[in-house]
Amino acid sequence: MISKSISQSMKGSSWIRAMFEEGERLKKQYSVENIFDFTLGNPITEPPPELKRELRRIALSDIKGMHRYMSNSGYEDVREQIALFHREKTGLPFAKEHIIMTVGSAGGLNVILKTLLDPGDEVIVLSPYFVEFKFYIENHNGIMRLVETGEDFHLDINKIESAINEKTKAIIINSPNNPTGVVYTEEELKGLASLLMQYKQQGKHIFILSDEAYRKIIYDNIKFPDLFNIYEDTISIISHSKDLALPGERIGYIAISPRIKEAQDIIDASIFANRILGFINAPALMQRIVAQFQKNSVDIADYQKKRDAIYDILRSSGYNVIKPDGAFYIFPESPIEDDTKFIRHLQKFHILAVPGIGFGRRGYFRIAYCVEMDTIERSAKYFKEAIENL
Amino acid sequence: MLVSEVIKKQMEETGWIRRMFEEGIRLRKIYGDENVYDFSLGNPFIEPPEQLIKALIETLNNPAPGMHRYMPNNGYEEVREDIAEYLKVRYDLPFTKDHVYMSAGSAGGLNILLKSMLNAGDEVIVPKPYFMEFKYYIESHGGVIKTVSTDDEFQLDLDKIASAITEKTKAILINTPNNPTGVVYKEEKLKELARLLNEKRNKGKSIYLICDDAYRKIVFDNINLPNIFKMYDLVISVTSHSKDLALPGERIGYIAISPKIKEVKSLVTALMFSSRALGFVNAPALFQRVIGKFQENSIDVMDYQKKRDYIYRIITEAGFECVKPQGAFYLFPKSPIKDELKFVKIMQEEERILVVPGRGFGKSGFFRIAYCVPFEKLLKATDGFKNIGKRYIKG
Repeated sequence: MISKSISQSMKGSSWIRAMFEEGERLKKQYSVENIFDFTLGNPITEPPPELKRELRRIALSDIKGMHRYMSNSGYEDVREQIALFHREKTGLPFAKEHIIMTVGSAGGLNVILKTLLDPGDEVIVLSPYFVEFKFYIENHNGIMRLVETGEDFHLDINKIESAINEKTKAIIINSPNNPTGVVYTEEELKGLASLLMQYKQQGKHIFILSDEAYRKIIYDNIKFPDLFNIYEDTISIISHSKDLALPGERIGYIAISPRIKEAQDIIDASIFANRILGFINAPALMQRIVAQFQKNSVDIADYQKKRDAIYDILRSSGYNVIKPDGAFYIFPESPIEDDTKFIRHLQKFHILAVPGIGFGRRGYFRIAYCVEMDTIERSAKYFKEAIENL
Repeated sequence: MLVSEVIKKQMEETGWIRRMFEEGIRLRKIYGDENVYDFSLGNPFIEPPEQLIKALIETLNNPAPGMHRYMPNNGYEEVREDIAEYLKVRYDLPFTKDHVYMSAGSAGGLNILLKSMLNAGDEVIVPKPYFMEFKYYIESHGGVIKTVSTDDEFQLDLDKIASAITEKTKAILINTPNNPTGVVYKEEKLKELARLLNEKRNKGKSIYLICDDAYRKIVFDNINLPNIFKMYDLVISVTSHSKDLALPGERIGYIAISPKIKEVKSLVTALMFSSRALGFVNAPALFQRVIGKFQENSIDVMDYQKKRDYIYRIITEAGFECVKPQGAFYLFPKSPIKDELKFVKIMQEEERILVVPGRGFGKSGFFRIAYCVPFEKLLKATDGFKNIGKRYIKG
């Protein structure tokens, strides 16, 4: 009954799910509060209170037809408000046409990949990476070309250069990064841009698809580089799952740079793709809500405190780890070579995390610290015991 | 080339829809909204039931912690339970929450289902005229669409279906009440279809019957929709609340897998994977909570029936040939001139009436009227239809 290719893909994708199920089993055995579940990027944070108020206000209002279909690209006034946000932020002439409302960034990435890819086209993805990228690319008959990042999880321009060929259509970057929490610097992005510009001058367009799901979750007053001003052929894919804590509502958008010469072709094709992929449009009510909250976000200081806490716990227990600049993930080295073995070892100490192999990088593991502070604090003892009892 | 060749080609095939749409905008600018009679879109102007809006507000006034977070890809357990209860009674089969999978409308539901089931080259039989998007949905997942003509009444033609079945046939996709014809498939036709599929199954060939049930609650003249789940084991129904609860913009619906299908568990696992891979992840959270308790409800179907009666009378009095629809909110009359695209343009230019040519549904020589508009619009378009009849229909 099930498609063969799906059965095949499912085999390789089941790490997070396997960990999740093991967690459920442990929770039944030991009760929830004695299990430290760091597997899922499903924040416990609630949406900002002012957003919740606005949601009630709009639901109560008698705007006619507010649950009907609208244009496949989304409401005009919503897109205009978001365009305004990007105009102010970038100084570039973003108009409502450059914004397409989507079913989160997962929906947005599928739309843009469907728009750009012909069978056999290649998309460069930087490893470690969010594994779903592979499925998104393959849905549209593209080929994922993995390129390792450096030891510090930053861009390795030489490696990227050697992965580029005739078939390269785009490169996906995700900063702040899942699973490492790394934020790419302005300088390294400029390095990437100048590499891609060389190809452009030879007539080869390579798009940067910038997955900015975590763009507002950045610490230590780091400024998020403005990629639109760094590289012309940039398309960013944005989700409100993390910054406004609305992951279940499936709302986000694509922002297509006004500097792209054939932007209109991409816009038209994306709107069409949104329809034929079965999204039709981003959920109506949530479109109206997020439009007004482009400048808002959940409490970042709260995440930063959690980042500090988990980082200190890991360091003082003897784990080798890079301090993340954003998102709500940390990606320590596994104290033993086999990360899956170590994950099973951690489970003995009631800690659930995802092995690096689930992100294409063995020898590491991911901790999602978008949990209660109390859970992080109480886990300290167990992280320590786990490493001491290897 | 920046944009994919594949999508360019797909867009060109439907370029005339866009041109029509633009022509509609042009006409509105010249004559004003009220003087253009747009019957081209299946976008009902009615509002969701009042109790549903109340339930939505109540949900927001008493927010459950974490109500906007991710949930399991197949949706909230309690919502699936509510729906299973409804299905159990309605279809008289032991549905449980595990047979229900929440989806982003039926468009989302069909895509994750086809992705989960189709191998490259697998064929899906679709009776035509048909909702054109089915073709894209099937092709997106490597499948091949095999359209099969219906009879003069737009009912299933079993001989044609039988001869379209090959080794590669994985499913047959039916849509009743039908878009674009409004026809409801007769019980005896569905029984014949079940018999045919059972014959194949006895020979070791399992063909799934996928039912797009988006319009299932919009049926007229007190007819009952046949219980297809009882007729054939391998039935999967894909439902939307776009039409029955008037929530098209919110993208909410579900897949109901027959309890008689043995591989439910592996299908659900595959659907979960497909939901993530295709980028849906889960059906929108807030509206899942709201619709669970509204399975028995629907918008005012009598209102649609009145409109059906009126438009059918006007159209036939004007001299058009038309099968009387018993559901949905569409009418599919024959074009009085052979090239219906030409005729559609004539209606636009001479009477400012906008409809969709039959080729948009794989059936040239006909056109679709979507009458999910205010009654007043129908009244005001009456003379236009009559005038066209006088000018273009002989006798």
